[in-house]
Amino acid sequence: MAAPKGGYFGKVLEIDLSKQTTNVRELNDEVARKYLGGSGLGAYYLASEYKAGKDPLDEDAFILIAPGPLNGTYCVSTRTSFINKSPYTGLLSHAEVGAHLGNEIKWAGWDGIYIKGRSAKPVWLYIQDDEVQFLDAARIWGKDTYETEEAFKKEVDNSYARTAVIGPAAENGVPYSAVIVERFRAAARTGTGMVMGNKKLKGIAVSGTKAVPVVDNAKFLPAAMEVKDFAVQREAWAGIKRWGTGGLLELKHWITGSLITKNFQTTWWPEIYNLGGEEANRSFWQRHVACNHCPVHCMKYGVVRNGKYKGLIAEGPEYETGGLLGSNLGMTDFGSMMALIEAADAYGFDAISLGGSLAFATECIEKGVLSASDLDGINLKWGDGDAYLEMIKKIAHQEGKAGKLLGKGVAAMSKEIGKGSEAWAVTTKGKEIAAHDPRGDKARGYSYAMGTCGGDHHEGSSPGGLVLLALFNSLVMCSFVGLTHTKEIPASHVAMLNPLCGWNMTGDELMAVPKRILTLERCFQVREGISSKDDVLAKRFTSEKLPEGPKKGAIWTDEDQKKMHESVYGFLGWDDKGVPTEKALEGYGLDFMIDDVKEARKQYNL
Amino acid sequence: MEDKEKVPTIAQSGTTRRAFLKGAVAATGGAVAIASVASTAPRAAKAEEASPMSRYLFAERQNCTGCRACEYACSTYHEGTVRPAASRVHVLRHKGIVDVPVICWHCDDAPCIEACPVTPKAIKKDKETNGIILDEKTCLGARCLQCVDACPAQYLRTHPDTCMPLFCDLCGGDPQCVKACLAQSGNPQGPCLLGSKVGFGVNQAYRDVTPEEAGEDLVKRFYYPNNDGGRR
Repeated sequence: MAAPKGGYFGKVLEIDLSKQTTNVRELNDEVARKYLGGSGLGAYYLASEYKAGKDPLDEDAFILIAPGPLNGTYCVSTRTSFINKSPYTGLLSHAEVGAHLGNEIKWAGWDGIYIKGRSAKPVWLYIQDDEVQFLDAARIWGKDTYETEEAFKKEVDNSYARTAVIGPAAENGVPYSAVIVERFRAAARTGTGMVMGNKKLKGIAVSGTKAVPVVDNAKFLPAAMEVKDFAVQREAWAGIKRWGTGGLLELKHWITGSLITKNFQTTWWPEIYNLGGEEANRSFWQRHVACNHCPVHCMKYGVVRNGKYKGLIAEGPEYETGGLLGSNLGMTDFGSMMALIEAADAYGFDAISLGGSLAFATECIEKGVLSASDLDGINLKWGDGDAYLEMIKKIAHQEGKAGKLLGKGVAAMSKEIGKGSEAWAVTTKGKEIAAHDPRGDKARGYSYAMGTCGGDHHEGSSPGGLVLLALFNSLVMCSFVGLTHTKEIPASHVAMLNPLCGWNMTGDELMAVPKRILTLERCFQVREGISSKDDVLAKRFTSEKLPEGPKKGAIWTDEDQKKMHESVYGFLGWDDKGVPTEKALEGYGLDFMIDDVKEARKQYNL
Repeated sequence: MEDKEKVPTIAQSGTTRRAFLKGAVAATGGAVAIASVASTAPRAAKAEEASPMSRYLFAERQNCTGCRACEYACSTYHEGTVRPAASRVHVLRHKGIVDVPVICWHCDDAPCIEACPVTPKAIKKDKETNGIILDEKTCLGARCLQCVDACPAQYLRTHPDTCMPLFCDLCGGDPQCVKACLAQSGNPQGPCLLGSKVGFGVNQAYRDVTPEEAGEDLVKRFYYPNNDGGRR
């Protein structure tokens, strides 16, 4: 149980909001080597501390904000993981977010921030190296994410502090609310915002002055520089550098046939030329912005220069935000779409679930199972940006019937509405899916159906992809840069980690880590009743063919489903019900989950 | 894209729409992406050319992407490890929408040296490189810090361990931050940090602003007609 030699500080900051006390959790080298950090460390804490059926909004439920071993070192493009049991889906969930927060946590001397308890009144945390202050957030409670961030920095007079805050949506208990990091980055898809709101925690600000210990700098630096050079030189990402992910919007419309449109009814949306990268480049983008030490700078910030939303500053459109709040809502006007995207960030929403819910409600109205009178008189129509914006405000403040109904998310809404609306409720494991139609882009089906949290676009598009993404999410590294040296993985990462942490890891040992994490996460989900029956895509994809576009007639077939299950389950050592076998668990060193899995098998007949 | 020069110019770095689409088609769909990405061999790294002696730094503020590669390079060079708190160059993210590189301009009038109360001065300009050198033996450190107050750009910070002011010594004539900024190439706006043998003739209005004021200026420049960077 030795302390880690390098790469980690061996300390996780434990904060109890109920008592307003802090504590230091030791992180030993063995755990670090088995789970790395980020989502891996979160899965380890969740699986070993929670029992099946734990209420994610309990007072002692926790959020872990975890960087990985590479954060704060010379390695490029590191991110931050937010891990908690999602109050939205009831499953283990992890969200990765860019910007500089994770590095600042490392420089403050922590391998993670573990937040539990519930404050009696609104509070926010200022973490300055070892010192933690609990500050009163009564005056900023209810403010949007931008104002909150500015208020934090002003109050502590530190404009270099890095923040993660929640907006009104999270305060009012919208289950798909997000944590917003540095104005425009969202740790979403996990209900982390709702948990923070439940804990009356308005946000955190971190500022650090330390350096991450490195065991052998002379070997680590060249290895990290090599990865950086690789990312700099790789032309595969030149397009992402120039056009961001927003440039993919048009491409998915006319080549891959996977641009979601009007609640997944079609993938053909010629209006995308008014919404995507080309239009943004012409009339909106002003700056390229990078996360820490990243040569890819995929973020584009801009300002709407004319029309109704003149002067609106926003980031994007990214592929997901432009897809979900653009084509999926049948938008045609660029300014209106950017207003929706900006509102999602300002009120602290998960833009994917928000777009999914709005689109679902619109189709309900279109099909006649819901009327404007059910929605406080707001008549949602495809492309009606003003109505959508009004609705977003209502959801954020949970006003009226409309705000409460749409604030539940698609799965709960379709249950409440009924009348056959299940046919167009597009969810996987209780969560809306991201902006790639799996009929046109079948590889994405893996990410949606087989990924740990369900419905995420960031979980890998093949059995090998799932493992790679799990590795990046535990390191915690951006997959844009990570995938550029796919050929060298694991060699390039072993070359960085060994001198950094003083390990003698082999490539095989490193590649066993993501498989172990995926299996541990799966054990957690199995305890909650997840099995192969849940690893499926929505009914719409298996019953409706694509009506037009380059992939006209495409449908998600039973064979696709079977192939996906067999390849992933076989690759990770799970049985055909999608439950990890005892042998596999022993092989991964997850013996502590064997009894739980046995019990779940009995309970759920697996 | 040929590498004619190490410095990417705006014209050179513009990835064309066509090239992007070609790349992106290959990069759609995970498994396919992995195969196609892996098959492209990396371009051979260009041999390092001897860089000219730099006597001044300059920051083209509107080109900064906020990646902080300069902080990484600076602290790695001076401290041996990545530690932005001890870096001699900083990047301020102002209002979440603009990034302000905060650098030493190596002013010819050097208010920091003028403010230094000890005799002989603890702060000196290196005659050859024009870098600012601190004599840590004679510097009064945390008891004084008049140089920090005197800096018109509010650039100076103190070392988190020793409390000594941190000065930019131009890395002996080869500023690492400038190299790192160049290396984040592909930045279509071009590099932000520049070094040169001769003074840039820094206009004092450009220099004598606090990082926050510079940020406000950038907000106005980028986000017209939104002048305060707030929500609309």
